[in-house]
Amino acid sequence: MPFPEFSVDESAIDSKNLPPAPSNRSGSPTQEYIAQEVSQYPVQGAENHVEYILVASFDIDRGSVMEHQFPGPISGDEHMLAELMLPDQAHMRNQDWTIFFLHKDTTAEEEARAERRQRRELRQQQKANAENSEQLDPIARAGVELERNEDTDEEYDSELDNDPEDDSENPPLIYVLNLVNMKQDNTVKRGAIVKAMAICTRHPFLHIYKPLLLLALDEYFKAPVPETLASLYNAVNSMDLSLMPRLNPLERHILQASDAKDMFIEKFDIMIQQRMIEDAKHESMTSNSSDASAPAPAQRRYALPRDTHEFDSRVLYNGVPVPVKVPAAISPETVGDFSLIKLIQTFSAPHATSPQPFALHAHLTTSGAYTHPIIVLVNALLTQKRIIFLGHNQPSGSVAEAVLASCALASGGVLRGFTRHAFPYTDLTKIDDLLKVPGFIAGVTNPAFAHKPEWWDLLCDLPTGRMKISPKLEPAPITEGLVSFQQMGHAPPSHHGYSHHHAPSSMNSFSAAVGAGISAATNAANSSSPPSSITLQNDPTGDHAFMDAISHAITNRLGESAIRSRWRAWVSRFTRVAAAFETTVFGASALAPGAAEIDADALGFGVRGHGVVWPDEMAKVRDLAANASRIEGWRGTRTYFTYLQDMAKWWGRGAGRPGVGLRGIDLRYQCDRLRTLRLGYDQSAFVYKAIARTVEMAGLEGGPSADDGEKLDPTDEDQTDDAAIELELHREEVRYDVINQILLSMPESQGGLFYLGLGLFHPRPDVRVAVVGLLERIAEHPAGRHFWANLGRFAKLAFFRVKRELEAQTKA
Amino acid sequence: MGGGLSKLMDKIFGSKEMRLLMLGLDAAGKTTILYNLKLEQNVTTIPTVGFNVETVTYKNTKFNVWDVGGQDKIRPLWRHYFSGTQGLVFVVDSNDRERVEEARSELQRIIQDREMKDALLLVFANKQDIKNAMRPDEVSRRLKLDEIARDHLWKVEPSCATTGEGIFEGLTWLSNNVKLPNK
Repeated sequence: MPFPEFSVDESAIDSKNLPPAPSNRSGSPTQEYIAQEVSQYPVQGAENHVEYILVASFDIDRGSVMEHQFPGPISGDEHMLAELMLPDQAHMRNQDWTIFFLHKDTTAEEEARAERRQRRELRQQQKANAENSEQLDPIARAGVELERNEDTDEEYDSELDNDPEDDSENPPLIYVLNLVNMKQDNTVKRGAIVKAMAICTRHPFLHIYKPLLLLALDEYFKAPVPETLASLYNAVNSMDLSLMPRLNPLERHILQASDAKDMFIEKFDIMIQQRMIEDAKHESMTSNSSDASAPAPAQRRYALPRDTHEFDSRVLYNGVPVPVKVPAAISPETVGDFSLIKLIQTFSAPHATSPQPFALHAHLTTSGAYTHPIIVLVNALLTQKRIIFLGHNQPSGSVAEAVLASCALASGGVLRGFTRHAFPYTDLTKIDDLLKVPGFIAGVTNPAFAHKPEWWDLLCDLPTGRMKISPKLEPAPITEGLVSFQQMGHAPPSHHGYSHHHAPSSMNSFSAAVGAGISAATNAANSSSPPSSITLQNDPTGDHAFMDAISHAITNRLGESAIRSRWRAWVSRFTRVAAAFETTVFGASALAPGAAEIDADALGFGVRGHGVVWPDEMAKVRDLAANASRIEGWRGTRTYFTYLQDMAKWWGRGAGRPGVGLRGIDLRYQCDRLRTLRLGYDQSAFVYKAIARTVEMAGLEGGPSADDGEKLDPTDEDQTDDAAIELELHREEVRYDVINQILLSMPESQGGLFYLGLGLFHPRPDVRVAVVGLLERIAEHPAGRHFWANLGRFAKLAFFRVKRELEAQTKA
Repeated sequence: MGGGLSKLMDKIFGSKEMRLLMLGLDAAGKTTILYNLKLEQNVTTIPTVGFNVETVTYKNTKFNVWDVGGQDKIRPLWRHYFSGTQGLVFVVDSNDRERVEEARSELQRIIQDREMKDALLLVFANKQDIKNAMRPDEVSRRLKLDEIARDHLWKVEPSCATTGEGIFEGLTWLSNNVKLPNK
């Protein structure tokens, strides 16, 4: 019975989830649209913040044993759980943190789920009764669909989760944050007590519970009874996050990439206003009721967050208010509070001072024997190798952090499927199960793993900051894609006879062709010293230059979010290079759905083209050749397939709906052209006008949106007004979303609106007018206004000048 | 060149490296022996969660000693440490007559594992400072070493982990009998 009455004791206030009744829809469309926000974690949410609290201890006779579980047993192998909670060498330190994930949901869990499902159905029924039409907030709708997306990779997970998991709304992963304490105690046999307490949650921000676990485990040493667990359980589940607005994926990316502390503050404001209205309603209701025993709730004060990146809440535990900060926007594959900077520095420093050559492997050493270790790591993740982070004599928390950071690194918030196969902390007891998982990412502290190269493909040693490619790793297979790429004559012009140590000799001519990346490998291997300077010749992938830029950013203290954005850009670019590779080799690519439509300009934007912007064909071939091996290694992996699914969904749902891709134009491609190419006046005119058009025509053009149930019905006069308002509302939503997409295509780290602003100086007046119109829309947009604020003074002056000219013209 | 020379010196002076695995029932004294080796002093130990590993150099031999926790639930894990082990150090609490049979069956399981077929076996008859402790010959009889370890080179060494008595004698025996792996 893991779900007691606790979660339903506020069921009286069911109206909180419901969108405002249609009668409220009288204001202007803009207001009306914005004045609906949905909480990420509504008060009425079916999920508790924390699902279980566990306590385990190390028994001197029996080893690791589970002492208590609250609210009920978590199912599965109790002994295995207890072992995970007491990491190797827990006796060596007073305190240690670990993180691990639980995949398996067994019977008890299923019952609970069935119960939840029933409850949810009941709620939906209630909702349906209350609202005869289905007017869910579009943001909420997008969110729900996104949640579904996150579950679709189940089929690739069968090694771990044999249970048929049909309830797609429940993410199957449970994140466990665990604290271990060792206390010397002369009064007990053998002088010490080792105990661990763990919090099991489905929220990825489990680090917020650290202070609470510290307090609660301390309490448990004094009072080792289930009540201690219960009071923690109740305290954390009373945490109120209901004022945190739900953000759609585009908004999340914008918020994460932004340093503005008030980005999307509007949403938080609306949440508060909605709450105050509800409070007032609730109050009048309770004061009317005869139940006078309950004191009227004091007028609660709600404050806007000081920084919208984090939502401030608190947990009252044992009379102590513990402040917690919950991240408002979390990328997929981001669990806990790791630091990419720390991970990068750990493996960059030894490489910078005394680089060591790697054993060559086509998937991994994409820039030769002296490929940057972080690139080797990312390549290993992309091509689904078995990766172990070893931290002998380090707390298990540090290996867990490295695992979580590496998942986020290779995901970039773009690819999914890493954390699901991550084992942030594990030990020898789980080795047999671990070896059944293809492409795991595991953290261990036991150096025995280092002696077993047959267990891993890449070993990342944290204390020394060195990585090692397993001598037992099979060489990369020669794939159809590589062969056809070579047969198309895409051999890079300059490379010497390449003889990879594991390439069959008959394939030498082929091998010679697979890319400048590999030829760089030979260069590096031949010279037997790391490249001293970066040139196109020795850095065809651009990864050396990229890692230099990353190091530079770290030295300049640009901060974690800046580094994460850069990785995001790297991963995103990789997927687009892969799409170009597939298109070149196979004629089409599912990684770029809709490309045909875009390239044919089927929707009449006046521009064509998609994907990566290369200055010329040579540069493209060189890039594809350098990336060919790892692209081929990525194709067929779990993250590749989930990405295909994501792209299909993004595309399939079509334009004209918030939270999904815009059809008929590749905005990023066009923005990249503005930024990186010298376009003639005519060409740039097309680009500026096309981008402006995406906003002006939002919600009108693009096949599916036009007949998306919003058709005007001229025969029914009464409905025409409503329908017109509906359409305007819909367009407003889509426009809002399209601007988000434009902003994401022009990140602040790449100059923001600067290149758009250049359009204000375009010789053609119609282009200038179009850009003014676009910038006006952007300046009114909740996120766009921050981009506008960062636009240079020069561009702003031009903006007002063009606007004045325009006004003068219309008057005349 | 320096590297080449030192390798030569190694050959002349017979410096070698040896991987030892120290096992035994819980509370037999494994960790105490390990830290007595490492620090040459008595330390108070608490039950080992998982393992300890230390490198000790004694008489030109570098011993890489793995000490793995002994609670019965975690004994199935021992096998993961077998491969590459040149010497098994099995620690017996000589005062624990009740569990000597349990110790024997564990030892039999370890020593008869295929991966341990070339390993030397050193048994520490530990806790000799206790008055009624079993003497080495009794320990070897009770463990049936003649029978279960007949394919191995073995020795029982009386020891007292807290004082360090017997421990270095045991290491010397291992060092003298280890076969250098063919390189």
